[in-house]
Order: sequence, then structure tokens, then C-alpha cells
Amino acid sequence: MPADQRDDPLRADPDALLALAEKDRRGKLTIFLGAAPGVGKTYSMLSRAQRLKRDGADIVVGLVETHGRDETSSLLDGLEVLARLRMPYHGRTLEEFDLDAALARHPQVLIVDELAHSNPDGLRHPKRFQDIEELLAAGIDVWTALNIQHLESLSDLVAQITGVTVRERVPDIVLKRADEVLLVDLSPAELISRLNEGKIYLPENARHAVERFFRLGNLTALRELALRRAADRVDDQMVDYLRQNAIEGPWATGERLLVCIGPDALSEKVIRVASRLAAGLNAPWTVASIARADRETIDENSLRRIDDLFRLAARLGAETKHVAGNDFVAEILQLARREHATQIVIGAQKRAWFHHPLRSGLADALTREASAIGLYLVMPDGRPQRPAPPVRLRPRFSTFAKSLGAAFLFVTPATALGVVIDRYTELPNISLVFLLAVLGAAAYAGFAAALLAALLSALTYNFFFIPPLYTFTIASPHEVFALCVFVAAAVLAGSLASRIRDQARSARRRAAAVQALYDFSRKLTGTANSDDVLWACVTQLHASIRRNVVLLMPRGTELEMVAAWPPDTELGVGELAAARWANEHKEAAGAGTGTLPTCGFQFRPLTSPHGSVGVCGYEFGQDGLDSGSERMLAAILDQAATAIDRARLTSESAKHAARQESERYREALLSSISHDLRTPLATITGAVTSLREYGERMPPESRDDLLQSIEEEGARLSRFVANLLDMTRIATGTLVASRDWVDVADVIRTSVARARRYFPAQPFSTSVGPDLPVIRGDAILLGQVLFNLLDNAAKYGAGEAVDVDAQQNGREVTISVTDRGRGIPTEDLDRIFEKFYRRSNSDGRAPGTGLGLSIARGFVEAMGGHIHAESPAANRLGTRIVMRFPAGDAAARKEER
Amino acid sequence: MTLGRILVVDDEPQIRRFLRPALTAAGYDVVEAENGADAVKAVATGAPDLVILDLGLPDMDGKDVIASLRGWSTVPIIILSARDRESEKIAALDLGADDYVEKPFGIGELTARIRSAMRHRGRPDAPPAPVTADGLTVDPALRMVARDGATIRLTPKEYELLALLAHHAGRVVTHRTLLTSVWGPAHAEDLHYLRVFIGQLRQKIERDPGQPRIVQTEPGVGYRLIADTDERNAD
Repeated sequence: MPADQRDDPLRADPDALLALAEKDRRGKLTIFLGAAPGVGKTYSMLSRAQRLKRDGADIVVGLVETHGRDETSSLLDGLEVLARLRMPYHGRTLEEFDLDAALARHPQVLIVDELAHSNPDGLRHPKRFQDIEELLAAGIDVWTALNIQHLESLSDLVAQITGVTVRERVPDIVLKRADEVLLVDLSPAELISRLNEGKIYLPENARHAVERFFRLGNLTALRELALRRAADRVDDQMVDYLRQNAIEGPWATGERLLVCIGPDALSEKVIRVASRLAAGLNAPWTVASIARADRETIDENSLRRIDDLFRLAARLGAETKHVAGNDFVAEILQLARREHATQIVIGAQKRAWFHHPLRSGLADALTREASAIGLYLVMPDGRPQRPAPPVRLRPRFSTFAKSLGAAFLFVTPATALGVVIDRYTELPNISLVFLLAVLGAAAYAGFAAALLAALLSALTYNFFFIPPLYTFTIASPHEVFALCVFVAAAVLAGSLASRIRDQARSARRRAAAVQALYDFSRKLTGTANSDDVLWACVTQLHASIRRNVVLLMPRGTELEMVAAWPPDTELGVGELAAARWANEHKEAAGAGTGTLPTCGFQFRPLTSPHGSVGVCGYEFGQDGLDSGSERMLAAILDQAATAIDRARLTSESAKHAARQESERYREALLSSISHDLRTPLATITGAVTSLREYGERMPPESRDDLLQSIEEEGARLSRFVANLLDMTRIATGTLVASRDWVDVADVIRTSVARARRYFPAQPFSTSVGPDLPVIRGDAILLGQVLFNLLDNAAKYGAGEAVDVDAQQNGREVTISVTDRGRGIPTEDLDRIFEKFYRRSNSDGRAPGTGLGLSIARGFVEAMGGHIHAESPAANRLGTRIVMRFPAGDAAARKEER
Repeated sequence: MTLGRILVVDDEPQIRRFLRPALTAAGYDVVEAENGADAVKAVATGAPDLVILDLGLPDMDGKDVIASLRGWSTVPIIILSARDRESEKIAALDLGADDYVEKPFGIGELTARIRSAMRHRGRPDAPPAPVTADGLTVDPALRMVARDGATIRLTPKEYELLALLAHHAGRVVTHRTLLTSVWGPAHAEDLHYLRVFIGQLRQKIERDPGQPRIVQTEPGVGYRLIADTDERNAD
């Protein structure tokens, strides 16, 4: 066996070490756990704080309720106590824990009493344990106190033991995650004697209830719960320690629970039992609700109920899953296998057969099918269950009325038809007509209507067609039998028809949802522009969930609203705070969540594979979204995040391409400048050093030639530098062309003369039209432009003649320079005016700077003219550069004179 | 009798315009070529003693000219290059060019390089002569290195390195050439070897290792051993 494999079982579990490292970054939570009020949690917390303070620790009291007990309040001496937040509340002033002040003070250790406390509306979090969670996340160690009866998973037990329902509850995960739990213990007898001595603070209005609570039996039971919890924790810590130190031991065996629930009242108990079971096994657990895929059997109330149950499960530390399928047993088993569940927990409740025909015997079926998986049945209590949330009667009644109406609607004409048929024909079986009515009602209004229609049909049939007629009595026994068969057939047909109807409706609804998503994704694929994506998202969200929708994205350090539907939606200060929180913590915030629940919007973070891209907010309304809308929302947000991310990447890659382009341009600039500067410099340096070194040995004509080349190269350098300066003036916009009257013929004469000096071998010809009008412009700039064009023509003109032409052309003056060189390919005609574009010569070398034409265009445009190139100019050869300027008014010029 | 025939390959007429009278005055015959194809032809027909080659030619890359020449000719080649074309310069040296001069250059620098390149060309089969530099003597025939009569002990690798530089005295030897000749082709990219060994070598042979006068660094390209003859000629 290889060495590393042999070592494996003794290696520290990486997950355990990881969890340890994760804890190191957070503040440490210490919980002082007690069985009941008055056991001395605050007292022991403060005396411990005093000891720590003496040792020089930075410990601050965030909030402590001393309830006026002297022995406790004396312990506050010498400790820093944060001022409380005073907030008006229904005409009173409440003093609450100031979370932001605590975060700002950021002590090493902070004491915040009463973990189970509920904050009044208007504070950031509705529960104190959420405040503490934020403190821990900020790296502050927190000490707090908790009574065992406030623990969520024990609340039903506590209610059972004490008969008192505890409303302020703390999720078990808070206790489970605590780094240290200190049990503050006092024997029940001593506690009661303390109560009798008046040492325990009791609010006056609750005195009676509390006294009932403080009975020996209750206190003993609660003490046992607290002790057991503390012992469980010690056990957990032991296991953690063993894992971290890679000590072999009786580790948890990787149990995993799958808990199946429905909307029934037993499900809450199932969840609580499963939670305790999971805690005992130290096992992760998943809660799944299973719904029929083909039917909308679950009404609104059930959905809400399941949502509530899911929230409870999540508080108790479970994962939650919606599953849809027709064969419950198969679905459960498949899920169990996928989740690697070792035990399935279900409620063993007999349901009325007509309610869930397929669920009766679920436990039996699972027992038959589940081979390696344990099954845990939770029995209903003998006592009546806590009632499910009150069902509103109105919708139920209206449903009934609607079904009844539909039944009448179909049965009445059927009766009439039956009467008519009965009168004019001898049809033996009128009941078929009623069957038709039942089918119609089922298809139109569902199963309830079908049942009612069947009942109504039976009565009417009996009344009108079964002798004795017009009574509800039946004379012959075979008619009774026929009626029974009819009712059975009607119910069966009705149930089938209504199921088909439900299926069709559900299919339609699903198709619509899928269609909407498809349309949305098509819309998104079509747009790469960030704004379009944002607008597509808000409009689609608005259309799908029918709420006001906003999208916020970070701009610098602030969160900014980038899209909203309707577009005039505005957010208040509280909503913006919730949005910021959601963005920073990557969790939902605002209405319906644990953070800033009083604002009108709920905010969801938009996360893509590349991180968070922003926040989406929607108006929460009274009860939030139904589960269909919720699914839509999640799907759309997923797509939106990806699309926004993609748009961002697209724009970034466009920016990158632009950067690369400018990089390429800079490189061309550098290479061009270095070449154009270096060649004359190399010539000058070489010629000067040659003259100095070998001057005496050279024939005089060689010396003269070298001197002349120095002069020429100097001139070339100076021209190039001038070009560069001109280009800079154009590029920076500091070029100002004067608007004088310019005589074009004059300028042409001077420029051609200058060009002749530079290119003595190059023939130039000029033709200027008669009565050429003046143009408005800058004679110096125009001269420079012409010279650049002539320079260019000389370079590329293959030594043939270059023509300069100027004519009046309607209201314009056209000046053109034509060479007889190779010409320019059509596709390059526009590019020749770009900076540093150079046509390669026949020998591949570009002789120019690539600036001449670019400068020419800059100057011409500065003078209000246009410039373009034509090629070939004539006989498939040559290039013509044409400039057009608006002709000046000759009369105006004369007047000026 | 001239000092030799030099082929100048440059497409810039201005450069040729000053090179011709300067090199003529320095005692050389000058032949010119405007592009790569003409250059190859001129080497084949004119048998020049040295080629001065600009890397930026209109018809073909200067490196291609070197490659096609090196197939059949050992004529010394000096490259005219620009500072912003460092990598091209190194590639050209690795392809077989003998030396380089950066534009703009003084004529003295160029003629010194010409002399150095031509001197080595004169005796390809002659027994290796001792090279002296700043009081140091490297005698390849005896495999001996001495300063002022006292033998200096070198490791085999240090000696090979120094001998290679001495053999090309006055000319730049690229990193790649040094690495492949001394350490083998597999180490062509191991620049850090060179840095270490050149440092050790300088400690042993230079009078002041902080101010090396014998083995000089050509930044980014390679090293050059400055022999006494080169110094005198360059002055």
C-alpha cells in the first residue's frame, strides 16, 4: 500500500480546518445559556467582563438590561456603555441597541444582552440575532445571553411543557455556530426562592403568566433541555476537535435526512422533529415539498403555507427544495438518492381519499420501495394540531358559487334538451344528455363543478324522467341501480375531464412562462448594449411579476438607479439603504427579509459568474410574490445578471480594442517619427564626422556635396518638425484659421514656385480659370496644403508632370492637384487622409511622413472646405486630390477695398 | 592598392551619399546596392571584402539578405540598425552578421568596426594568435590566460567563454551564441548562466571588476571583448 494512502485516514479533515479558518476571520460569539430568566446570565456575563477589563481588554457594553437589580448594575461600574438609540414609537420613546454606533466603535468585545429580542419596526434588522450576525461579520467578538425556551426547534416542546407559547425565537443555527456556550445554571428550587424574594424582575402585566411559568416541573424540564443542549454542544466540539486533529474516533457517519412535507398541519411538527433528529445525528437535512406536476391542485393558501414551512425549515438550518412530479414515491426516492439521503422523514397522516388519492399509503409504498434508506414516520399528536393559518372563507365560497353556477349552466339546458327529446322521440337513455352536461361542467369549471353537476343531474334526472315523475322518489329498484351507475360514471368522467382541463391550463400557463422567458432571452441575445439590456430586464420583470421594478448598479462607490419600470419610480432613503445592504452583502434585503423589512421594496443581488453586477428591487406589496412569480423572478434575474455581465464584457472588450487601436497608432507614430528623424540625423552626423575625419583627403567636390547634403537634411528635418507641430495643433484643436479673402491664383503661384525649388527635376503645370472668385480662408494654411499636395504628387507621380488646376464651379471654387503615378486602390481612397497612412512605393518603401495629407485635410476643414481623392485620374493612371471651398462674393471684396 | 572593397546596402540615397566619399577617403573601394536582391547579386559577382547592410530594405528584410548570403558566403557583414529594432538586430547577429552600428553613427565608429571585422576575415585558417587586452593575454594555442606574466586560473567554462570572446575580439557576440557554444543548444535561453559566469570572469581578469574594460556589456545583445588593437584603431 502506498505511503500516502496509508496516511490518509489520519490526515486532518480539510473541511474541518477550513471551517476553523473561516471562523478566524469573524468575530467570536459567546452565548451565556440559561434555563429560565433570573438564573444570573447578565450577572455572570458582566462579572466576566470586569475580569477581562482588569486584564486590559477593550470590552464595551452595547446593551444590558439590569432591571434595576443593584448587584447587577454595580457590575457596570468602570465599563464603557454605549448610548442607546432613542426612537419614537407609537407615541412612546423606545431605547434600543445602536448597531451603527457599535460598528463605528468597533471594540474587541461587545456585550449585547438578550439574544432573542425583537427590534421594533424601523431598525435595520427585525431580530437582535441579525444585529449580532452583522457585528460578528465585522470582526467584533460578541457576548450575549439566551434562555433555552427561545430556541426555535424547542418551541413546540416548550409550549407542550409549560403551556406558554414563546413568540421570540432564535434559530438553532445561531447557537450551533456560537464559538463558546457558557451554561449559567441554578437549581429550580433556588430559582423559585429567588423569585419569592423578589430578586427576579417581572413585568407587572405579565406577572400572572410568568408565575405560572415558574413552577418546579417546568423549570426542571427547561433545565434539562438547557443542560442537554450544552452537553450536545460539548459533544459537537469534541467531534470537531477530533476531526481537526485527525484523531480517529466515533465520528458522525455521514447521515443525511430528506424531509417530505405538504401543506398540512402535521408538516410543522415533522420539520421540528426532523430538526432535532438532524441535530442529534449531526446531519445535514433537506426539506422538500412535493407537488403534482400535472395539476394546479395546490391553492394559494397551501402555497403560502408551504412557503411559511420552508422559512421555518431554513431558520432551523435545512435546505429547501420544490419538487414536481406525478409519482410521489418515485420522486421522493429519486431525490433521496440524488441528495444521498440516509433517512426519509414523513408525516404519517391518513388523508381523506378524495383529497390526495395517490398519497394514501405513501409510507407503505416507500417502505416497499426504499431498500437502503431508513424511514422515519412522525405521528400526529392526540391533541388537536395548532390550526393551519386561518383560511379565508371568501375565496373558498366564491369558488363554490362559481362551481355551482357552472353546474346549473350546464345542467339546465341539458334538462331542457332531455325534456324536448323525451317529448318528441323515444330515446331510452336520457341520462347520456346529463353525462354530457357533467363533462361540460368539468371541462369548463373543474372537478368541483363536475361533482355538483353530477349531483344536480342525478336529482333533475330523477325528478323529471324517473317515474314517478316530478318527485324525488324512485319507484322501481332497477332505476335506483341505473341512477347509481349514472352518478358513478358522471363522477369518473367529470374527474377525468377536469383533470384534462387542469392539465391543459397548467400546460398553457407553463407555456406562457416559458414563452416569456424565451422572448426575454431572445431580446437579450439581440442586444449587446448595456442600456438596452437593462431596459429589457425591467420591462420583462414588470410584465412578469406586475410590480414596480428598479435596477441599481454600482457607479464608483455609490449605488445608482440605472433603470426602472414605470420609469418614474422613485426610491426613498430607507429603500436605498436596503439596496446598498443587498449589494454589499450579496443577500436579499428590504421588505420580506431580515434586513430593513419596513421599506416598500425587496432587493435581490444580481450575481453572475464574474461576481455581483448590481441589485434588482421590486415593490413587495402586502404578501410578496406567489411562488410562480418567484420562480419567474429568479429565472429572469439569472438571465439578466448574465446579460448585464455580458454587456459589460462586450463594452470592456470594445474599450480594449480601442485601446489596442490607439496602441497600434502610437507605435506607428513612434516608428514613423523615429525613422523620419533618424535618417536626416544619421546623414548629418555621418557627413559631419566624415568631413572632420577625412576632409583633407577628399576631393573638393565631395566636400561640397557632403556640405550640401547636410544643408538639405537640415531642411528636411525642419519640415518634418513643422509638420509634427501642425498636426499637434490640429489634434489639440488649437489651430485657428484666419478668415481673410484669399486670392487662390496667388497662392498657387507661390506654392508651385516653392515646390520647384524642392524638386528641380519635377515638371509642374498650372491652369487657373478666368475671373476666379476669392475664397474666405488663410493664405498661409492654403499654401501649406498645396505644397503638401505637390510634395506628395512629386513623390508618387513617377516623374511625370503634375497638374494644378483651379476653377469656379457654381458657388464653389475647386482646386485640384493631379499626378500621373500608379494611383490609389479604391478601398484606400479614404484612408490616405488618416494620420501616418503611407502608400507603399513601387519599391515597397514609403518615402513620406504619412502626415502631409492628414495635415492638408485638417487645414482645409479648418477653413470650411472639403477635400477628397479620386483615382484613377485619367487613362487608368494617377491620383487627383480635389479641394472645394465656398466661393466668396466678389462684390463684397470690392466693397471691402 | 585599397584596403578592400565594401558593399554598401541602403535604400536611403542620403546615407549612401555620405558613405561613399567618407569610405573612399578612408581607403576603401565602395560599391552600392539599393535593395536586397541587388545586394545578393553584388556579393555574388563583385566579391566584396565586407558588406554594410541596412536592415530596413524596400524589397526584402535585411535578415533575409543575411540568411541567403550565409548559405554560401563568409563575407563579414556589419548591420546598420535603429535602437528601436533591438530584437531584429539580435536576430541578425544570430543569423551570422558580424557586428552592428546604431544610427546615427559617427564615421570613426563605423571604420573601427570595419577594420575589426576585416582583420578576422583575413586569416580563417591561421593558428589562433594570442589576444591582449588591458594587460591580459589570452593564448588559445596554449589554453593559457595571464595578466602581466602571472597565470590566471579559470574554470573550463570561464575559459571557453573568454576564448570565444577573444576569438571575436572587437566584435559583439550575442547571448545566444555564447550560450549555445559554451553550454549547448539546450541552454540558449538561460541568460542567468551568462550573467553569473561573466561576473566571475570579470572578478578574475579585470583590474577593476566594477569598471570592466576588457569584457564589455552590449545591453540586451551580448558581450564584446575589447582587445588592445581595437582600442588603438578606434582612437
